[in-house]
Amino acid sequence: MTERAGYLPGIAEADIEWQTLDFQRGNAALHVEVPVLDDAQMDALAVRVKLASRTILKALTVSEIVDITDRAIARLLDRNDPYRRKCEALLPLVTGYDAEMVRLGLTGYLKTFRKPNLQKFIAEDFANPKILDEFQPAPKGGFTKAIGPDLLVHVWAGNVPGLPLWSMVAGLLVKAGSIGKVPSGEPLFAGWFAQLLVEIEPRLTDCLAVVWWKGGDTAREDALLKQADTVLAYGGNESLTELRKHVPITTRYLPHGHKVSFGMVAGATLDTRKAAGVAQQAAYDVVRYDQQGCFSPHLFFVERGGRVSPREFTRYVAHALAGFESKYPRRELTIAEAGGIAAWRDAAETEALSHPDMEVIASETGTWCAVYSEDTTTLNPSGLNRTIRIVAVDALDDVAPLVAPFKAFLQTAGIAAPPEELHRLANVLGTAGVTRICALGNMTAPEAGWHHDGRFNLLDLISMVEIEQSAETAAETFAPYTD
Amino acid sequence: MVYAQASANCPQPGPAIMNQAQIIEDLLAFIARDGADDDTFNAMALRVFGYQFEHNQPYRRFCQQRGRTARMVKDWRDIPAVPINAYKDLTLSCCAPEDAGAVFMTSGTTKDGLRGKCHHPDLRVYDASMKTHFRDRFMAGQTKMRIGIVFPDETMMPNSSLAHYLALAMREFGTPDSHSLIGPDGLDTNTLYAALDHAEATGEPYALLGATYSFVHLMDDMRESGRTAKLPAGSRILDTGGFKGQSRELEMDDFYNQLSATFGVPRSDCINMYGMTELSSEFYDNGNTVVPSVKSGPHWIRSRIINPLTGVELPRGDTGVIVHCDLAHFNCVSTILTEDAGIAVDDGFMLLGRVQGAEAKGCSMAVDAFLEAARG
Repeated sequence: MTERAGYLPGIAEADIEWQTLDFQRGNAALHVEVPVLDDAQMDALAVRVKLASRTILKALTVSEIVDITDRAIARLLDRNDPYRRKCEALLPLVTGYDAEMVRLGLTGYLKTFRKPNLQKFIAEDFANPKILDEFQPAPKGGFTKAIGPDLLVHVWAGNVPGLPLWSMVAGLLVKAGSIGKVPSGEPLFAGWFAQLLVEIEPRLTDCLAVVWWKGGDTAREDALLKQADTVLAYGGNESLTELRKHVPITTRYLPHGHKVSFGMVAGATLDTRKAAGVAQQAAYDVVRYDQQGCFSPHLFFVERGGRVSPREFTRYVAHALAGFESKYPRRELTIAEAGGIAAWRDAAETEALSHPDMEVIASETGTWCAVYSEDTTTLNPSGLNRTIRIVAVDALDDVAPLVAPFKAFLQTAGIAAPPEELHRLANVLGTAGVTRICALGNMTAPEAGWHHDGRFNLLDLISMVEIEQSAETAAETFAPYTD
Repeated sequence: MVYAQASANCPQPGPAIMNQAQIIEDLLAFIARDGADDDTFNAMALRVFGYQFEHNQPYRRFCQQRGRTARMVKDWRDIPAVPINAYKDLTLSCCAPEDAGAVFMTSGTTKDGLRGKCHHPDLRVYDASMKTHFRDRFMAGQTKMRIGIVFPDETMMPNSSLAHYLALAMREFGTPDSHSLIGPDGLDTNTLYAALDHAEATGEPYALLGATYSFVHLMDDMRESGRTAKLPAGSRILDTGGFKGQSRELEMDDFYNQLSATFGVPRSDCINMYGMTELSSEFYDNGNTVVPSVKSGPHWIRSRIINPLTGVELPRGDTGVIVHCDLAHFNCVSTILTEDAGIAVDDGFMLLGRVQGAEAKGCSMAVDAFLEAARG
């Protein structure tokens, strides 16, 4: 089976050099052809998108853009739609994630981009969304308008299905022309979404493009980056640092590095009636996308003092992980990945030999592993891919100082705690660097309009244009009706 | 589901527990045999495992954690393999550590800098293993050769198994004019150049033995002085251990090409030895005309290629992680899970280097990056 990735307005497919990425899952093979543009093509593409961004996209109202996006999302939510069918059939093949997990994940994720959510998304950043369409009176006097970039370049990474949707929609809402570079781990979704948008609204034909280049191909990178007004990039800090070197100083650079997230369970939630449910939710956050998301838990802190002890809670989580394994099997791992988590598990097992307070619970086939530890002197990470460390603490208030050294890397904290505790903890966690607090079980599904890594998804993209009061006053003096 | 927990279960004595003198005697006899078929190897492996299960308490707990006891295991393939990293946390020794006649330590080149220790009550078995196999695989029918060692000696590195191995090679198989080429002041090029001249003039074969990275430094020095040699036929080179960040890294093909060009020894006579502090036996290839070469060991060590996560042995041709069962390493743990990737082939395995940690697939921080962040 062969599928072409990307979306390239104005370039004939025959003029493009295609490279094939092979994906093999068991007996199923998928060949994805990705476009390799030459400098002239990349240049022409950027010019085309910029022009369309200025003349077409900027002339649409935000409400029109919301409507178009909503219609595209509705199509993707319809399980009979050809695009949706392609997502369900091919994304599991490309990413290796369980098909049912991808299907459920997509639906849950796409739901957060329906019209009401898009409106919330905008309202989160703009008290008056009309500011994106025309100059609006400012409280301080004068008028302001928010203008999106002509060309927003996205550099996506990783293999979590559909991830590019966030920044693509953000770009659309601020009327930015977009060119996105898809990662080799999931090169398909972004191109499909672009094609679908254009199918729904042909005026958008030249307003966006989806390209690919091999990581480290700096010639290609430079050709595009030098044309960008704003660059939004995802990836590890090393590759983001490398990319930054190629972004002109006059270009806004918005990097989203890899993150660390964790969960917290208050003793008060661990009575015999609720503990199993909490453990189930914790395990669900581990299972979703095999902990590959920035919002996925690296570890759980569990408070002592509940009816169910942290050690028992670990066993509950292990039990839930075993249950999920039959329902949503883990992605098949490469030998390097298998080696990585085997080393993590083996190290924990060895440590447990001399630390009777530790406990290692693992499936015989290595499909998941839960490690219980009472060591709070160092923050030890999980091996990911369904390996989780659960640390007992005397009080959840002890957690913030533990995670604080990772301030630059913190993102989500999933919390199971009574209301008063939730708000108290939120305060200290926020100071420690956490930017998102959610319920356990929701860690991998941020709500619409969330502030990704604590930033403004839309405000970070736009520039404000102001008409100062002085201009207004001065203009009055030149009016034909002036006395 | 395996519930693994450190707990002191009731001891379950394995079959026919031996004492140290008996196991040493048995192993010396085993090494002296011509070979060992599957059953013979299996029987000896189970005896060694029984000995270790009885006398090595941390290993016993490890086995119990894996749900295995000496009594249950009937096949050497089922003996629990200890990850070599465990040597950093645990003292895995059958004899009391203070009774050990020799302690070899790992080089500590891993990122945490901790060094694992292997205790040996004495080195009779180690030395018998080394000598028997070295003679078969490196000496190529010669009884003695002039040997030059490109590695610090035992006095400089008393806890290095490699220093001991090389000293033993020189003592047992070297002519009286064999020599160490690395002294307290570093590389002794005068002695080396004299030896190269001597070999070229007399036609007497010369053997150079040392760490892979030492050869890189040596070749760099020789290139600076514009020096090469054309060693006579029968000369051989043995390198071991890889670059370990101690020298610049070369592709294996480039390394052997340079070695061959610098010393005039054909790549078929450049032998790579694969050994570890956590073993008492070594693997050799039959030259490095083609890399990666096929490595094989003597009849008292067997290796398997497994999926490290499931422990399942992989079919020939599949890349996995290497597990060794080295009966000569009787005082510590014979069956170890390495961090080396390999492929099983006819007559041995191909060594592909260290298993590389996986890159992050998504946007969650991978373990290595996490630890790096923790270090600041």
